[in-house]
Amino acid sequence: MADNTAVSKALQVLERQLNRPLMAALQVCARCGVCAEACHYYVADGELEHVPAYRAEELRKVYRRKHDFFGKHLPNWVNAQDLDEATLEKMAEMAFSECTLCRRCTFNCPMGVDTPLMMRALRAMATASGKAPEILEMLADAAIEKGKDPAMFRDLFVAQVAEMEKELQALVGDPNARITVEREGARVLYVALAGAHTILPPAAIFWAAKEDWTLSIYEAANYGVFLGDTARAKTIASRIIDEAKALKVQEVIVAECGHACASLVWDAPIWFQEQFPFRVRSLVEVMAEYVQQGRLPLDPSANPEAITYHDSCNLARTSGIYREPRVILNAVTTNLREMTPNGLENYCCGGGGGLVALPEYDDKRMKAGKPKVDQIRKTGAEIVVAACENCRLQLGDLNAHYSMNVQITALADLVVKAMRLPKSVAVPLPNAAAVAVGE
Amino acid sequence: MADPIKPDQILDLKGLLCPMPVVKLSMAVKKLQAGQTIEGIATDPGVMADIPAWARTSGNELLSIEQQGKEYHFIVKKTA
Ligand code: SF4
Ligand code: SF4
Repeated sequence: MADNTAVSKALQVLERQLNRPLMAALQVCARCGVCAEACHYYVADGELEHVPAYRAEELRKVYRRKHDFFGKHLPNWVNAQDLDEATLEKMAEMAFSECTLCRRCTFNCPMGVDTPLMMRALRAMATASGKAPEILEMLADAAIEKGKDPAMFRDLFVAQVAEMEKELQALVGDPNARITVEREGARVLYVALAGAHTILPPAAIFWAAKEDWTLSIYEAANYGVFLGDTARAKTIASRIIDEAKALKVQEVIVAECGHACASLVWDAPIWFQEQFPFRVRSLVEVMAEYVQQGRLPLDPSANPEAITYHDSCNLARTSGIYREPRVILNAVTTNLREMTPNGLENYCCGGGGGLVALPEYDDKRMKAGKPKVDQIRKTGAEIVVAACENCRLQLGDLNAHYSMNVQITALADLVVKAMRLPKSVAVPLPNAAAVAVGE
Repeated sequence: MADPIKPDQILDLKGLLCPMPVVKLSMAVKKLQAGQTIEGIATDPGVMADIPAWARTSGNELLSIEQQGKEYHFIVKKTA
């Protein structure tokens, strides 16, 4: 008889996920504790349960019960444990609310133990057994629904873009500036996020760089990734991949968003077992290239404020994109103040892993963001730039919660502000994430 | 155009960026009784696509959605 309890479903997923990297992570740990200070949750409150190795041990106990000789026969000797529903629920909450999958622990572990990989496995187990946060499932399913029936919203979207095109023309002072939607044969397909704030500034930059580009009708965000649910994540990504293939573009450029970029660049080729006939890059890499090629007329004195840059974990640590933002910032600002540490070693803002979309964990999220607040305050910056929508939402909430009195913005916004435009039309500072979200 | 339906609740989603309008709407709908209606007012144009898709997957009924200047108004009825 098939066993369909939540626990057995979770265990089946664990078995299916057991590839070499996950097994290595489950078997290796020197218990040296170095990872403790690497994790922003631990830095925020010093609680033992926020040591990455402690989190990993929760899953390891279950793994040992099934796969370790002593764990099978003398579980108490090796602290092995059967999985029950209460434990599964506790572990699900931990994986979704107490780990943002930022990978800082892995980078700092002398043995390279991949704790976030284990937390992803736990998320997958929770999703399969109905223990994942409902909101993440709802957001993923709504994205899938959009892909099934693009006709439902396409006309509306095109009409909205036509309005934005007028704003673009006013902004750059060129009545011929265009934003085309799904134009076949364009060199670039740009995939934005929902909302004009991730379309208009990049459109102005593409215009200035004379890029041959067109706009995707889909948004780049992928909530399937946060669920650890490869089937959903693949379906969401396939909307963009199929669109890019149909339009025969040479390159897909992903908006300033960490997980959206990392999942399309790193995960998608593995999910689909395929080399795509187009290149995928982050808008950050492309803007840096334009800067280096001298394709943008820039005046850094337009951004004289004290500015600091927050590295998104998915861009810096997962995708190695940490030099490019500095190339851009050095060209468009005059008072850049780095946080300590930064780049590959930057602390997570506390909003990653889908956490910004989960109001039930707002308190934990604000607490875990405190190390970031301290980092920002030490720089004395008036403006915090982040190249990720999740980070910007979290930084906006931290700004309100801790009364930081800073402005949060995207890289593209600063680039546009620094652009010397033909008719100097006043460029309004974008509203990206300037708004507090949580209550 | 004025809405002919008088909603049981109004939800101010102005200034919120994706995915927060959908997140807040779904939380508010949860608290409604079946048959009650809620009007959401948002400024993020993404809602024009996201709310219909959310309504389909969540099984709630989208009674209307329209742009009014810089705002987007929609009315959702909670189904059983
Ligand atoms: S740093 Fe690595 S080896 Fe040391 S306790 Fe943490 S996970 Fe284990
Ligand atoms: S991935 Fe980040 S949040 Fe998760 S345990 Fe490691 S350091 Fe902490």
